Amino acid sequence: MSDINLKIDGKNVTATKGTNIFMAAKNNGIYIPGLCYHPKLTQYGGCRLCMVEVTERGRTRHRFSCAQPVSEGMSVKTKTSEVDKYTKSVVEYLLAHHPLDCPTCDKSGECGLQDITHDLKLSAGRFKTVRLDAPMKRDNPLLEYNTNRCILCGRCVKVCKEVEGVGAIDYQNRGIKTVIGTAFDKPLDCTFCGGCVSVCPTGSWQDRTLKFRARPWELKKTSTICTYCAVGCTVVVNTKKNEVMRITSDDDLGINEGNLCVKGKFGHEFINSSRRVKTPLMRKSGVLRPVTWEEALNHVSKRFTEIASEHGGKAIGGIGSEKCTNEDNYLFQKFCRTVLGTNNIDNISNIKSPSLNRLVNESVEYEIAAASVEEIEKADTLFFVGADVAEAHPVIGSMTRKAILANNAKLIVANARNIEFNNSAKKEIRMQYSIGTQTQLINTLSILILNGELVNYKKVETSTENFKEWYSSLKKSDMGIRKVSTLTNVSEEVIKSAAELLAKPGKCYIICGKDIEEDPSAENAIRALMDLCALINAGGSDKVSLVFSRANNNSQGVNDMGVVPDFLPGYLDINDPANRKKFEDSWRVTLSDDVSMEDSDNVFDLASKGKIKALYVMGENPIVSYQNGKKAKAAFKKADFVVVQDSFLTETAQLADVVFPASTYAEKEGTFTNMGMTVQGLNKVIEPVGESRPDWQIVCELAKKMGHPFYYISPKSIKDEIGKCVSIYEGIKNNNLKKDGSRWVASVYDGNLERDGFRWVSYDNLERDGFRWVSSEYDKYEPLKYIFEISKKRSPVIKKNRDYPFILLTGYSLRHQGTYSRNSSSLVSLASECFIEINANNARRTKIADGDMVKIESAQGKLKLKAKVTSRVPEGAVFVSEDYEWAPINDLRVNEYTNVRISKTR
Amino acid sequence: MVSGTKTKKTKTKAKSSGNGKGSVISVCLGTGGIAAGGDKVFEKFQKVIKSKKLDTATGKRVCKTAKTGCRSLCARDVLVDVTVPGRQALTYERVTADMVPQIVEEHLVNNTPVKKWLAKDSYHKFHETQQRLILGNCGAIDPESIDEYVIKGGYKALGKVLKKMTAKEVISEVSKAGLRGRGGGGFETGWKWDSCARQDADEKFIICNGDEGDPGAFMDRSIMEGDPHALLEGIVIGGYAIGATKGYIYVRAEYPLAVERLHIAIKQAKERGFLGENILRSGYSLDIVIKEGAGAFVCGESTALQFSIEGKRGMPRTRPPQSVEAGLWDKPTCLNNVETFANVPVIINRGAKWYSKIGTTKSKGTKIFALTGNVKNTGLIEVPMGITIREIVFDIGGGIPKKKKFKAVQIGGPSGGCLPESYLDKPIDFESLLEAGAMMGSGSLVVVDETTCMVDMARFFLDFCAKESCGKCPPCRVGTTLMLEILIRITQGEGKEEDMDVLEKMSDEINTMSLCGLGQSAPNPVVSTLRYFRDEYIAHIRDKDCPTATCVALHKYTVIPDKCTKCTLCIRNCPVDAISGSKEEVAFIDKEKCIECNLCYEKCNFMAIK
Repeated sequence: MSDINLKIDGKNVTATKGTNIFMAAKNNGIYIPGLCYHPKLTQYGGCRLCMVEVTERGRTRHRFSCAQPVSEGMSVKTKTSEVDKYTKSVVEYLLAHHPLDCPTCDKSGECGLQDITHDLKLSAGRFKTVRLDAPMKRDNPLLEYNTNRCILCGRCVKVCKEVEGVGAIDYQNRGIKTVIGTAFDKPLDCTFCGGCVSVCPTGSWQDRTLKFRARPWELKKTSTICTYCAVGCTVVVNTKKNEVMRITSDDDLGINEGNLCVKGKFGHEFINSSRRVKTPLMRKSGVLRPVTWEEALNHVSKRFTEIASEHGGKAIGGIGSEKCTNEDNYLFQKFCRTVLGTNNIDNISNIKSPSLNRLVNESVEYEIAAASVEEIEKADTLFFVGADVAEAHPVIGSMTRKAILANNAKLIVANARNIEFNNSAKKEIRMQYSIGTQTQLINTLSILILNGELVNYKKVETSTENFKEWYSSLKKSDMGIRKVSTLTNVSEEVIKSAAELLAKPGKCYIICGKDIEEDPSAENAIRALMDLCALINAGGSDKVSLVFSRANNNSQGVNDMGVVPDFLPGYLDINDPANRKKFEDSWRVTLSDDVSMEDSDNVFDLASKGKIKALYVMGENPIVSYQNGKKAKAAFKKADFVVVQDSFLTETAQLADVVFPASTYAEKEGTFTNMGMTVQGLNKVIEPVGESRPDWQIVCELAKKMGHPFYYISPKSIKDEIGKCVSIYEGIKNNNLKKDGSRWVASVYDGNLERDGFRWVSYDNLERDGFRWVSSEYDKYEPLKYIFEISKKRSPVIKKNRDYPFILLTGYSLRHQGTYSRNSSSLVSLASECFIEINANNARRTKIADGDMVKIESAQGKLKLKAKVTSRVPEGAVFVSEDYEWAPINDLRVNEYTNVRISKTR
Repeated sequence: MVSGTKTKKTKTKAKSSGNGKGSVISVCLGTGGIAAGGDKVFEKFQKVIKSKKLDTATGKRVCKTAKTGCRSLCARDVLVDVTVPGRQALTYERVTADMVPQIVEEHLVNNTPVKKWLAKDSYHKFHETQQRLILGNCGAIDPESIDEYVIKGGYKALGKVLKKMTAKEVISEVSKAGLRGRGGGGFETGWKWDSCARQDADEKFIICNGDEGDPGAFMDRSIMEGDPHALLEGIVIGGYAIGATKGYIYVRAEYPLAVERLHIAIKQAKERGFLGENILRSGYSLDIVIKEGAGAFVCGESTALQFSIEGKRGMPRTRPPQSVEAGLWDKPTCLNNVETFANVPVIINRGAKWYSKIGTTKSKGTKIFALTGNVKNTGLIEVPMGITIREIVFDIGGGIPKKKKFKAVQIGGPSGGCLPESYLDKPIDFESLLEAGAMMGSGSLVVVDETTCMVDMARFFLDFCAKESCGKCPPCRVGTTLMLEILIRITQGEGKEEDMDVLEKMSDEINTMSLCGLGQSAPNPVVSTLRYFRDEYIAHIRDKDCPTATCVALHKYTVIPDKCTKCTLCIRNCPVDAISGSKEEVAFIDKEKCIECNLCYEKCNFMAIK
């Protein structure tokens, strides 16, 4: 992009070609009024406020700065008497019918219209007309719309369509009667991302979770990282007197460009919920009663010491948290391994997909996973495999739509379910494969690419290892495209065009989703996907990068921090004495060599078998979130002593002997690692609610009581230790995490300079080159050769069961995720019902209609849910979200494919 | 079949449409004709002819009925041409179904025309003064028959272009002819085509704008209804010139007949190879799709029209980029008006040199005006550019009816302006109209006589624009409404001295700040009436008086004795017996009793009540 030189208000300004005058001025600190232009939306030109005087090639004309691109030698005047006169006139028109109800408007104080009126020193106008007085539209618990205040700038319409892909609202009517509204004025039915509120320059769209509780100038704004999904959006928490009032966003902060989802934007009420556990609780004569911290800590320390001395440290199991910070989790595993002396620690994400950590780690080493999530915006092709982006990671959906809009990116969606993903891609390939056939489908893509010579065969051969063997084994097992097409139920042409598209030069992103990762055949499918990426990367000219979906805000971090049985922090194999030695040296302890093996029993198995006597759970609700909920419940019941550290009295906490009140993300500092391996720092928003304490502090206290004091004064000192001890987080310290606005960021991919693992480097002296940050050192670096592995593991097959004819599929939900959303009242009133999704054909045969109550039964248990008849699930399967805590679908599940039956009930 | 004194011409025409032998009865079935009962007349003719067995080939007397498009002089509808072989075609005017048996009996059977119903001299004079290059076929051929168009020399231009001319040559021919867009702006067509042809793209579109929304304009409709093949021919030539891959005709859904006839024409043209794949074996292919608009005035604006075709809400967008760079579906797009396209075959056939001789220095060719309002001969007229308003109104239009005085003409529809008597002798072209504060627009020409209140007329047109604003930008959406509020206040006698100043300032603001042509030109009627008829505003504001007694709220309900003819109509209609008077005495309204129901005013034929 070439630079253009121009003059704005006498100041010499340089801007890239294609920039409009409005942004060129803004970037150089020159203010031009404007209410409709928004950098993240397409240009509109409707508010008519950004008029400037432009002199170009000897001609002086009035131009609207948002619509006029800069050109060489242009001279712009933003303030002339003419410009002032005309701009004033437009604001006067805008205010002619405006209700001027600023005193009762929540926007007052941060209102664009108010600011411009003030700036232009507008006084009582020429018009005395009737003020608009249409009723407020309040048809949902989160958003309200006041058409009287609307200036029809169109931002909400655009954000809804372009960013969120929904298009729930549009203009209605003509002339002065034009309003924004939904089709046929039906109640708003959208994803409730709140984008309309964020971009609205007036008080038309309002966040109902704030409603009249605070004025904008009373609010303290602290940016931090969202606690729901694994995207890691930056949220700006607005507080008043230690209470969270609302969440806003900042377009310039973080990776999300101000885009949020319904949970991130409106799911904050749990923080100050009355249901928070505010004091430590101890079970006394069968009932959990409030006690002092001292009493609770003493009791836990006493019991842990007793059990450890009686049965050995390994008799205590620890469950880390996908929600807690890296620092919390690091300390938790350190506590378990050193103080308690156990390696029986785990986290739910690892239990759900045990092979994932190893495969992710390999992918990073081979540079197959090599880009952070925000890079998606630069993609030319996107491939969602088993990823329900719209439900699971909505903001990645927005990034995808941006790529589609800006780069004309093409999209391939492969999923067993007919998932929704609204977008405007000119080319979208859909592959709805039969359940369990994903590995064949992916391998077929590789075969097609090789057979069709879509990549340079020779290059692949020289730059990878074991290629020939792998290829011949692949060919041996190849059943031919026709058969694959029948097996997967995807047409030959579609598979072929997908292979062609993937091998095409350009930046390609593959998002591997939960439906692959948590499928019983996860390892084979992911391996196939890695092979496919390695193939294209080695033989093609451009990069393919794999992004692994993670469920929670710190699902990646909890694994990085080694809250897993088989890896020490940084994925160092615990079975290797050298690795143990490394940590023994830095922790100055002796580590237990009693380590669990691959495919061995997990913590819950051990507890159910009585091998684990005590369980220590930090920030997790396994009874609901573990995919075999029944087993987890049995384990907790069986255990002699259970300690749960949580913000709410979850199903798990209710079974505990001691409950420690833990602070939420808003009350603490630390770091989260998102699914794109970007580490982002939290800022403390409010003081801990009640007597709750941050998790790291509780662990510290407990260690102290047990006679092994940790000397950490803040999460910062833990972070410094992580930076020293954890190879992949090497060098992560406050000082060399680049301060970008008010957030701390670093990415695992920043400098993948050494072969043994990957390490952190600061952003200094690095330049962005396509996908990655490079430094001069980068040239010396040669990537690791990819080794093709011939998998011998057989994928599990779907067992047919006459009594239970349906396969139960589970997945994410947009509107809920776990304990936090369950305790956010607005979210619950928006989505109070967990549905069972049934294919329309199955529903017809089983005589189930939309909205009927349905009993869903498996060999393990049963549940009653409302039916949603849809085409989203394939025939022969039903779908239930795992994210509604009060509908514990995991109770019904087993580790393999779960067979269920459904029947209509009352 | 344009009948007239040019006997020679008429004869050849009669022959061609009469297929050599036999009589032909051509009934005007344009929308105007149908509205006047043309379809009934047509049916009746068919029925009567059948019952008299004139349609069977017994001997030489074969009778045919034929549909034609608009005959232009809509005021005299239904117009029927009767051609008896060997005789001059004769035109009947204001034909009703009842008259049909007599016409058939006397004219066809007995060969003696029904003289009392034949068109009067003024009908012929109406046509003689015009130069009908574009409308020539309208009313002369059956628009649903491609043969008749081809016999008239149709698609000859297309053949010439595809076989003998390069795209560049076509553009240069059109440029040399000096053709300018007939849609309102007067943009040079050749220049537009050239800049679109220069764009490098895999797809290009050519769009015909048939979204004729101006109240009182119907020239595009008449072309689409009366001579659809000429339009298609023009579009294909344009498409060839710019390298278009697909063509669209955007027609208002309110023009069902135009839509129907265009569909027929497209089908026929495809069958004959004038459209579709490999046109006339030249290797050039173009498909034309008809897109019906949903009735928004703003969709006549080119960018809004393109959004509408894309299935989006019709709202204009800012420029750049221009449509020729990134228009429909973000591809280079060339958009022209119906009349513009209809000019193209004429230019190709007759040559740029010949064409450029017609008109003025800067405005070439003819222009079709829709002449309506207080004028005797309402209808469509096609006149060379540079003609004076006087010629149009008095020579072609036949002057003002009921011996009223001419006051003004509103040219260019709601976005145009009002020109007073002093402009009667000014020649009309794009520049002169702009200078005078009006605009060519689509070419609607509303004649206003002395009984029309100019303030009220400005209010009427502004009301139209305010209602049709797409709502995108505040100057147009809110500004026009606010101006309208002021105008309404003035017409209700609540005007203030400063209102005129405010209106003038607002007009300037709205003109400068609006996004598209609709908003920018919406204040024109107010500006031009304020410029030429300021005294009427002053009368309304200062004296609370409407000089033409149009504004109901300002009526004083007194009788003007000079005007009263003592007809007693008002007396008979007054519901409260407030009016006294007789055949000998002028009427008098008793203010005590009057309830200001306005009935007397409405009933009075002589404007004697104020």
